[in-house]
Amino acid sequence: MSTKEQKERVELLQGTLDLLILRTLQRGAMHGHAIAKAIEFRSDDVLQVEQGSLYPALHRLIKRRWISVTDGASENNRRAKFYALTARGRQQLTVETGKWDKLARAIAQILSPGGQEEA
Amino acid sequence: MTRRKRMLADLEEAIREHLESETQDNIDRGMSPDEARYAALRKFGNVARVKEETWRVWHVQWLEQLLQDLRFGVRTMWRSPGLTIAAVLAIALGVGMNVGIFSVLNGVALRLLPVPQPRDLVGLNQVFHFQTQPDRLIHNDSSWFSFSEYLDYRDHSDVFSGLVAYEPYVEATLRDRGLQQVLGTAASCNYFDVLMEHPARGRGFVDSECASRGGSAVVVISDDLWHSRFGADPSLVGREIVLNRTAFTVVGIAPARFTGTEPVASAFWIPVTMQEALEPGIDRLSKDNMSWLALLGRMRPGVTIPAARANLDVIAARIDRRHPGRTTSLAIHPATFFSSPDQREYLVPVASVILAAFALVLLIACANVANLLLARASVRQREIALRLSMGAGRWRLVRQLLTESLLISIAGGALGSLVAFGSSAWLFRLVTSRLPHDFPPIAVNVAPDLRVLAYALLLSLFTGIAFGLVPALRSSRPDLNGSMKGQGTAWGTGSRSGRFLLNVLVGSQVAICTVLLVATGLLLRGLHHAQTLDPGFQIKGVATMFLNLEQQGYDGPHATQFMQRFRERIRAIPGVTEVAQAECAPLSHDFSVDKYTIPGNPEPVLVQYNHISHDYFSLLGIPIVRGRSFAPAEKHDAPGIIVTESAARRLWPNQDPLGKVLRESSGREGSVIGVAKDAQVAHLGESTSNYLYYPSGPEDDSRTYILVRYSTRFTDVASSIRDAAHAIDPGVLVDVTRLEDYLEVWRTPSRIVAALSGALSTLALLLCSIGVYGMVSYSVSRSVRDIGIRMALGAGRADVMRHELWQAIRPVLIGGAVGVGLSAAASGVLSSMMFGLGTHDLIAFVSVPLFLLAVALVAILIPSRRAMHIDPVVALRCE
Repeated sequence: MSTKEQKERVELLQGTLDLLILRTLQRGAMHGHAIAKAIEFRSDDVLQVEQGSLYPALHRLIKRRWISVTDGASENNRRAKFYALTARGRQQLTVETGKWDKLARAIAQILSPGGQEEA
Repeated sequence: MTRRKRMLADLEEAIREHLESETQDNIDRGMSPDEARYAALRKFGNVARVKEETWRVWHVQWLEQLLQDLRFGVRTMWRSPGLTIAAVLAIALGVGMNVGIFSVLNGVALRLLPVPQPRDLVGLNQVFHFQTQPDRLIHNDSSWFSFSEYLDYRDHSDVFSGLVAYEPYVEATLRDRGLQQVLGTAASCNYFDVLMEHPARGRGFVDSECASRGGSAVVVISDDLWHSRFGADPSLVGREIVLNRTAFTVVGIAPARFTGTEPVASAFWIPVTMQEALEPGIDRLSKDNMSWLALLGRMRPGVTIPAARANLDVIAARIDRRHPGRTTSLAIHPATFFSSPDQREYLVPVASVILAAFALVLLIACANVANLLLARASVRQREIALRLSMGAGRWRLVRQLLTESLLISIAGGALGSLVAFGSSAWLFRLVTSRLPHDFPPIAVNVAPDLRVLAYALLLSLFTGIAFGLVPALRSSRPDLNGSMKGQGTAWGTGSRSGRFLLNVLVGSQVAICTVLLVATGLLLRGLHHAQTLDPGFQIKGVATMFLNLEQQGYDGPHATQFMQRFRERIRAIPGVTEVAQAECAPLSHDFSVDKYTIPGNPEPVLVQYNHISHDYFSLLGIPIVRGRSFAPAEKHDAPGIIVTESAARRLWPNQDPLGKVLRESSGREGSVIGVAKDAQVAHLGESTSNYLYYPSGPEDDSRTYILVRYSTRFTDVASSIRDAAHAIDPGVLVDVTRLEDYLEVWRTPSRIVAALSGALSTLALLLCSIGVYGMVSYSVSRSVRDIGIRMALGAGRADVMRHELWQAIRPVLIGGAVGVGLSAAASGVLSSMMFGLGTHDLIAFVSVPLFLLAVALVAILIPSRRAMHIDPVVALRCE
């Protein structure tokens, strides 16, 4: 496999993809391909999701009724499924974002040079 | 389509769209189409795996978890086969018995009539409400109809495609190739058409055969009679057979499986208009106010029961206008056996008591299995604690534990039901074989149907939840810390509630068992009472027969002539000492009642009466305490009557009854010439009701009982009596029985119930003893360390023993006390249903709890003795 276009990539932690999808959909309804693109673009291509793994995640969110799905047409006029946040999904996004912030702060604190000495 | 299915159907399309968009983007970036598609696929990853994972999002939850639970449950059961077998057997026993008894009840009272399209058939009954005195003649069932009422409903309602009326249980003597007493049906002429049971040979009735009274002597006979009596002779159709004294032309043979519309099989059917041909002198057809015909209607398609009721109520109201002071309410219900309000009134309480008793045994079995599961749950506590601490939800755990108990209950239920289905026919025969010998064959189908299967399934599910829920809830919240560290004994540190639960289980088992045993005790005492009871007359060594010469075609003078010669011939039989006649034989279930008045007192008194020959008292050994018995010459037209002691005391308190006058409702007067000692001649166990005797006259000879006292073998005397009758007239049917056999009829209900409840309570006792034994030995084995510590600290063996005994016996005592209280309440219900039952029979109420206590003590002593011999050192080390 060629490695020339591979930058430094970070693998996603379990469950983080859900959060990223929710956050992405906050701007409005999108179809699957657009969501994948948006996540890649907004993370400056660091988080490169294997695009297929988007679908189990989307279905998981649909099942929990955090997002809904409707038929629509994409920008180049193809038929496509559009995913949008539901009210519950919006609520969940706040909760999940809060949790993530806490986790990130805690990990950062442990990993920072000062934190290590204190421990 | 469910959401899940819709989402998955769309998945394929969504993936294709995605890949096309990505390919398009790549082409836009300047790749060749092939390269673009390849890059898109690479970026997407493994399509098959993506699909599979998405599928799993939707599937895993319920189906896979259920399968997981089932697999795990089967494995757990497999690993402890002893416990599994014990639990499954206990449930099989409990559920099987309940399903068995339910399929009998289902066959008796819930199954639709065994005819084609039974769903369209309804039974019709009427309940009368009288403003003052009830005014209605009743033959068989008060909620049935008269012939004119039937015609009203048939001709003026438009909800039925056909309405049938019939009089069941018509007795007749078949006089072809010997004599045989048979039970048949007098039916309206549309009977076979409406029921869709067209005779297999010949035809059913046609309307013209019901057009005039006594006009068409035609008969349809049952397939059974055709085979047993006429050797399935195909040329019988068109020939004549004689029923009583009337010749009937056989027009058809009923289909083989059709036995009529009553639980007792019918041997023949005649047009209802031929009623008087079989019962000469009794004209029911013209009695407009007599209940004697059962009604069955086939509803037109689309007619509902409420619509039918509305239509028929109008007709009922019209009939009511002819009977001032009476209102009729109609009962319309699916056509089953025993569906009339009269019959249900008796059947429902009896069936509920029986079902309740069987359910109690199932409850004991449940408590036992719950006990077992609790004991095992404590062994599995470490496993459960581990799963809880790994993040398993409590609901998830409860569900898994319940799956296990449902597996047990369904396995047990299936096993029990299979055995029950195999044996319910046997059980039914067991019950019917205890009926008196002259009871006619009963045509009830006890094979399982959908309703029985549903009952079995529901009962199994309910059972599984009943014994599984408490252990599941309890063991899914253990003390995590203790269990993980291996400190927790069974009900270890938080053992109070666990011990309480065990005690409640044991206590309730003992309570239920007490109720069943006390009930059995009461029934057995009642049975013993009935069997040893002195009825107040000499019942042994008396043969009896009922002769209905009128029905057999005799007129009055011929009957008297026959009877005179018959009595002479009987008296001449060697071994016969006395012969007497009576209108009602003692305990024969035949009795006559009239309203009497004492001159000067307008208040009427109900008194039962009997017409007897002068030798009745001496034959039965009933002493005359005052006055004299009837003289041989005294006939019914003489004014003398004999009253019983109780009647005399009640009618003329503190006066000499001799010479006192009593007036019949007809106005005829009689004066007392003698007082007879009380005897239980009308009702077993009851000798004090008002009763009086008239001398019999020639008019009594056409329907009479004959009593014969003999000193040799009954069979010899009986056959000599039959020969004597046939020597006078070979066409007279005589059925001789022992007078004692009449007692059987009275004892039968208590005998059947006592046999059933005896079997039930033996099982209950067995289950209960196992339960108490299991609980005690379990709790002893769990408290080995406690005992060790106590003994190490210097407690004597007697102290330890006393402690263990007290711990174990307490729930037994409490349960027993509750059980005695419940039995006192239950015995009231029972005694109202069964003859000869004392409500507060001291022997049953004292001996049963003592017996149970003794059984419990044995069950407790065996494991407790083990506790006594524990070596403290071993006990302390073994944890």
